[in-house]
Amino acid sequence: MPSPLRIVIVGGGTAGWMTAAAFAAVFGPAHRHIRLIESSEIGIVGVGEATLPHIRFFNRRIGIDERELMARTQATFKLGIEFVDWARVGDSYIHPFGTFGSRIAGVPFHHYWLRQRAAGNGTDIAEYSLPIMASRANKFALPAEDPQDVMSTFGYAFQFDASLYAVYLRSFSEARGVQRTDGKIVDVKLRAEDGWVESVKLESGEVVSGDLFIDCSGFRGLLIEQALETGYDEWTKWLPCDRAMAVPCENSGPLTPYTRATAREAGWQWRIPLQHRMGNGYVYGSNFISDDEAAAKLLSRLEGKPLATPRPLRFVTGRRKRTWNRNVVAIGLAGGFLEPLESTSIYLIQIAITTLIDYLTDRAVATGEYDPRSVEAYNRWMEMEYDRVRDFLVLHYHATERDDAPIWNYCRTMRIPDSLQHKMELFRARAHVVTYKDGLFLEPSWLAVYFGQRVMPTGHDPRADAVEATDAEQQLARVREKIQGAVARMPDHQAFLERYCPATAPVTARSGA
Amino acid sequence: MSIRSVIVAGSGPVAWIAATGLLRAFKHRALEVTVVDTGASVDNRIGRWTLPSQRGIHGLLGVAEPHLVHQTGATFKLATEHLGWQAEGSRFLHAHGDIGVPLSGTPFYKFLQHESLAGRAERPETFSLAGAAARLGRFARPMGEGGSLTSSFTYGFHVEDAAYSSYLRAHALRQGVRESAAPLATPVRGGDGGIGSLQLADGSTLSADYYLDCSGPEARLLACVATEGREDWSGWLPCDRMWSGLAPPQREPPAVTQITATAAGWQWRAPLAQASMVGHVFSSRYQGEDQARAALASFEPALRGEAVLTRFQAGRRRRFWERNCLAIGAAAVELEPLAGADLHLAMIGLATFIELLPRERESRIEAVEYNRVMAEHADALRDFTLAHYRAGGARAGEFWNALRAEALPARLAHKLDLYAASGRITLLDYESFEELDWAWLLMGSGLKLQALELQYRTQMMKVAAGDVAALRTHVQQVAASMPPHMEFVRRHATLAARTPG
Repeated sequence: MPSPLRIVIVGGGTAGWMTAAAFAAVFGPAHRHIRLIESSEIGIVGVGEATLPHIRFFNRRIGIDERELMARTQATFKLGIEFVDWARVGDSYIHPFGTFGSRIAGVPFHHYWLRQRAAGNGTDIAEYSLPIMASRANKFALPAEDPQDVMSTFGYAFQFDASLYAVYLRSFSEARGVQRTDGKIVDVKLRAEDGWVESVKLESGEVVSGDLFIDCSGFRGLLIEQALETGYDEWTKWLPCDRAMAVPCENSGPLTPYTRATAREAGWQWRIPLQHRMGNGYVYGSNFISDDEAAAKLLSRLEGKPLATPRPLRFVTGRRKRTWNRNVVAIGLAGGFLEPLESTSIYLIQIAITTLIDYLTDRAVATGEYDPRSVEAYNRWMEMEYDRVRDFLVLHYHATERDDAPIWNYCRTMRIPDSLQHKMELFRARAHVVTYKDGLFLEPSWLAVYFGQRVMPTGHDPRADAVEATDAEQQLARVREKIQGAVARMPDHQAFLERYCPATAPVTARSGA
Repeated sequence: MSIRSVIVAGSGPVAWIAATGLLRAFKHRALEVTVVDTGASVDNRIGRWTLPSQRGIHGLLGVAEPHLVHQTGATFKLATEHLGWQAEGSRFLHAHGDIGVPLSGTPFYKFLQHESLAGRAERPETFSLAGAAARLGRFARPMGEGGSLTSSFTYGFHVEDAAYSSYLRAHALRQGVRESAAPLATPVRGGDGGIGSLQLADGSTLSADYYLDCSGPEARLLACVATEGREDWSGWLPCDRMWSGLAPPQREPPAVTQITATAAGWQWRAPLAQASMVGHVFSSRYQGEDQARAALASFEPALRGEAVLTRFQAGRRRRFWERNCLAIGAAAVELEPLAGADLHLAMIGLATFIELLPRERESRIEAVEYNRVMAEHADALRDFTLAHYRAGGARAGEFWNALRAEALPARLAHKLDLYAASGRITLLDYESFEELDWAWLLMGSGLKLQALELQYRTQMMKVAAGDVAALRTHVQQVAASMPPHMEFVRRHATLAARTPG
């Protein structure tokens, strides 16, 4: 092959360094030359302190030692997300990283639970999920491999300091030949003949040219939007929040192995426990509350002493019309924004990177051209990922009984995407979850949120009636007992952390929320 | 009102499979299942070859495989051999098994793509146990731990329709499926726009809460309640007739279905324990029925008895499920049997129906979901069938030129173009044929690659030539240690005696 593919990554936040690290690990030095340009003057948003289990596959694939990473990023374990006050004030449910029971005679477990519930069984669906029960007890242990073991029925993710993750990935990347340049981009030069990006010019006067540009410049989309004017699809009619206020505070009380999202008068508030502090934020709609009031509400609801003044963020929910346009691929906030209600920010970065890896060919190295079919396939894939996450988020807002604030009245009565309408109708009619091969959220996630948001089916799968009532009761009881026993044997989350991955890195100045 | 009874209208394997499958799934509700004969369908045929999923279907129906094989004279199928599809003399296998073993986490077929780009094309079957055994005429059931070579494949069946139908019928009746005394005369619409009852040939009527239409292409029940028509695929897939018949057994045939391209369609040959089956599939636009029958006779001069003519037209219903009537099999989707997936698709239809069986007769949302999912499945199967004609080089001639002049369905065009541009195989949500099936078909067809994914280019630098050579030798040795296919089939006489169905 001739010369390596020159990849220029613009922006050094979570998205930029994840891309650099992955490309450096997956593509051999003969095939790529990676340069990352970031400005120490421009702050990073540092999205996604809370992650999904998928990040572990990413880390493993590129060869990161998880334990070391956790120690260096003030990480805690995460078994799910607790949603407080969503369907009704006073409600609480956990969306777990794990299953509810297991199939009986080929029929999903929840149908048996529904059947027994109709017959008077008063148990909560949560009692059939190990990660929920462990979360409620503040416990954690690593999952088992044996599929017969109830300890194999869950996965886990991390709650970590995303800016420390970026710092970690930077040293990982630089050790593998990624060249970092500190500088501010002042100009983007397009090729006259086809409008592709030819080079970017730095404040220092240096011109950096490349074959493939990865735009990780954040909301503004320095290349994808400012230079290429790709366009953006807004989804604010379904997800009306457009601002956030973020502030860390001191930890108080035990470290919980889960993230919390509490519905509020104009949006919702996050709570993410790290080893050294608590991340907090208020995501809200500017139509429903003023910035000052949001900041005041947030500060008044912290569990510990604030460690900074609240930092405002603005965003427009939606996605870029094409995240791969000409020779620019937008990853992270430059590609789209979905509020972190289900901790999807880092997942969407990760899937953009791994999908891009799937669709980059050696021909691009040889000729500097990208096959339009690959570009189309990539864009289609990313659209599907964003759309499916969107539907799942909209479900949280729409399936509510709250009528105590304008935002809830709006969301409860809004017209939702047809794709979601169909899913909800099927669930209401017979507890059937529409599944798909690709895309993020699987059956247990939909179940957790449907039940948690009080979307209660009127029927269940008639096949579940094949098991005798006493038998079904016994099977249900056995699942509950197994989970109770396993949770009782699990160590306390904080104690496990202190043994497994106590923080080793100093807290840097950039470790804001 | 809850569902207590279902009538299955039809007479072939699809009807008996559907009836038994439903009965067993809802035994606890004492669901009453009655089969009403609809007479010989226009898609009658001498026999068929199946996908490996037929093993799972037998499991669900409670059929003991050795007994079935012995009673019906079926044989096993490890692969389909494509002859002459890309040009006179071209041949390749599509086997029901893995190609090689992953090389440092990379699918082995990526290595073969890499080699073919470098001008060192190798046949996938060289590295596949199923492929090697198919070539050597060997067969054994897969065994051992997942990930091992001996578990790296699966198999389908070759079976004669009359024998299979009567076997499945006897099994169904033993399980408690009822059979109406007289065949269907005419369906009668009910007040709600669904089927109200069936009038039988003896003047009696029969009714049920739900009706499964397995009557073949005429869709005699669904046609009477349908609110939407068919989607026609005959522009893409112009074959619309098949002559098929029985012939004397081949000498020690391999566990392989042969499909051979001809001037106006294709011909097939498949082994049975005591005979063999042959067929001639053609487009009536290019070949008359008599001319085609003569072509079959010259393909197989020793035909036993009369050949059977099947008529069909490629396409599918826009809605498979309307009101209380649901079409399965050729009543829902008509396709030439190239991919051998008709029973598979029927089974997906049945399984989806079982998963969505409404609690109340009046419920409608289930049909919406069923029609959405099954349309995807059917279109995916159409694409895989069509790819047999369109991937790689194709023969010359009026039929083939016209076929190639049709623009492909967008989703198939995208798949083939993407493959050529990058070696990458993408699958949509509801595809029965998996990445490996497409790899067998597309690599076998010789579809030229322009590039390979960059990540595999890097991976391939780590592959040791010695490992590849050792794998090839190992695969050939293990294949050679299996018994001959027909010896394995003959053993079923003894096996069956021990495990009565």
